[in-house]
Amino acid sequence: MRRGNRTSFAWWGLCLAGCLLPTVWASNAHADDDDSSSRVLPVEVHGFVSQGFIKTNANNYLAKSKAGSFEFSEVGINFTKSLTDRMRVGIQLFTHDLGPLGNYRTRFDWFYLDYHFFDWLGVRAGRTKLPFGLYNESSDIDAARVPILLPQSVYPVSNRDFLLAQTGAEIYGNVPLGPAGSLEYRLYGGTVFYDTSDATSTLANVEVPYIFGGRLMWQTPIEGLQAGGSAQKLRFDGDFTVPAAQIAPLQMAGALPADFANPVPFKLPALLAVASLEYNAHDLLLASEYCRWRVGLTSPVPALNAPTQQSERLYFMSAYHVTSWFTPGLYYSALFPNADDRAGKKPMPGALPGTPPLGRAGYQHDVALTLRYDLNPYWLVKVEGHYMHGTAGLTSTLNGDQSLSSLTKDWGVFLVKTTAYF
Amino acid sequence: MRANRRASFAPSGAKPVARRCVALCLLLVATASVVIDRGTASAESVPDFRVIVHPDNPSTNLSRDTLTDSFLKRTTRWADGETIRPVDQRPDSVVRRRFSDSVLRRSVAAVKSYWQQRIFSGRELPPPELESDEAVVSYVMKHPGAVGYVSGSAKLERAKPVQVQ
Repeated sequence: MRRGNRTSFAWWGLCLAGCLLPTVWASNAHADDDDSSSRVLPVEVHGFVSQGFIKTNANNYLAKSKAGSFEFSEVGINFTKSLTDRMRVGIQLFTHDLGPLGNYRTRFDWFYLDYHFFDWLGVRAGRTKLPFGLYNESSDIDAARVPILLPQSVYPVSNRDFLLAQTGAEIYGNVPLGPAGSLEYRLYGGTVFYDTSDATSTLANVEVPYIFGGRLMWQTPIEGLQAGGSAQKLRFDGDFTVPAAQIAPLQMAGALPADFANPVPFKLPALLAVASLEYNAHDLLLASEYCRWRVGLTSPVPALNAPTQQSERLYFMSAYHVTSWFTPGLYYSALFPNADDRAGKKPMPGALPGTPPLGRAGYQHDVALTLRYDLNPYWLVKVEGHYMHGTAGLTSTLNGDQSLSSLTKDWGVFLVKTTAYF
Repeated sequence: MRANRRASFAPSGAKPVARRCVALCLLLVATASVVIDRGTASAESVPDFRVIVHPDNPSTNLSRDTLTDSFLKRTTRWADGETIRPVDQRPDSVVRRRFSDSVLRRSVAAVKSYWQQRIFSGRELPPPELESDEAVVSYVMKHPGAVGYVSGSAKLERAKPVQVQ
């Protein structure tokens, strides 16, 4: 099934590439032609190249960051062609590397056919970015924001593979509300191609039988102020491999049967919701989002089942264009894996008896300051520092399989990133 | 005594000279004020930018909201169904900055950021960015649905200026 998923995924992309390449040639061939039709509807090509560096004073974060890591690269190129005034096709190729993620595997980031009936109704089919919150769709795009890392509580880069795009269909539109502003809506449904080939993955044969959701954003009558909400529901089915070193202790504790054998099939339903508020006028950006994720886990091994857990995520962000070339930004972000225990005084719900409380793994407070320098219209450099309190959101695999509760509680992250784009 | 002193300090024919001086000063002040007024008036009569559309476009004025929605591509059709084709100028041009600040109410950098988000998420493409007022006028004349802006002193040829409300 996964192979079929990947095959149809590639097939779609190749079909679109096949459609677009002749039009690139055709538009070039007509470059000197004064005929307006060839000028009005050219193939638009845009791209970006980013290289970053990440260093932490304690705890490996996203990469082997304690030693400093340049494994922080992104490259993308897209081609978009308006076939008529109402119809458009597009495709973006993307490759990235962030510690154990990405590893420069080139993917179709998105591809679509878009038909725009009216301003209040359009349809899009293909692989499309998920409209979740204010910035999920552009979370790959360094040039589109001030921070190097968006608030990781709401936009975790480690979840990029299943939070960023879906393959299916979407309807969208913008409904004017007269003096009350306007309402932008997006509704979508389909599936997610989840790549389990990353080095840290203990998952296999992962499929997403469904994902559906929507986003509603109200452009208020107050200049630059928008408010809205997004929700999505999805389910992962797959096989989980219990690390060999943990099998014997779990069997001793009676959590696994004596004849246990990997892998363990599982189902993981999830419901994600976020409320968003943004003020973006003149040179000032203020944004805040509040998010809850409800995730459950069922498997034939009762001890591995987990009751539905609810995490809480939020941030406040600001940025100001001091000059056309200098923009500082500041945000505070918080992540609580258990919304009912923000201090980490209890173990996660459903944990085995005797499991210690989460402690410092029960929260992550993140204060980040960014300085963005636009050296010219196509090139920028950013410098960013984070003060982190708590270890939620970190991964044991990057930290020598240590428990998150044993990692350094107060730590810092320093990042530098440069991006060229056109 | 006072009268005598006045008489002794007042040369023969002084009265007409003083009057002429006062009159000359008043004339200078009046001329200067007229010149200043004219200068102000001429500065006011040349706006920072003008919004132009194709001559066949029936619009004579456009609201700032309509222009904002058109340039951010939230609205894509004129009332008669014609596709709206907004056209921008270079990001570093003065006229772009003025238009962006006063109509879109966002800095050029914020607008660029808006378009980066949409370009790379596959949502929408920005308006074309042309090099000069002449190029914008030429584009508007070629495309019936076009709307653009040029500096206040630009030659409009047959492009139709509209008032921004």
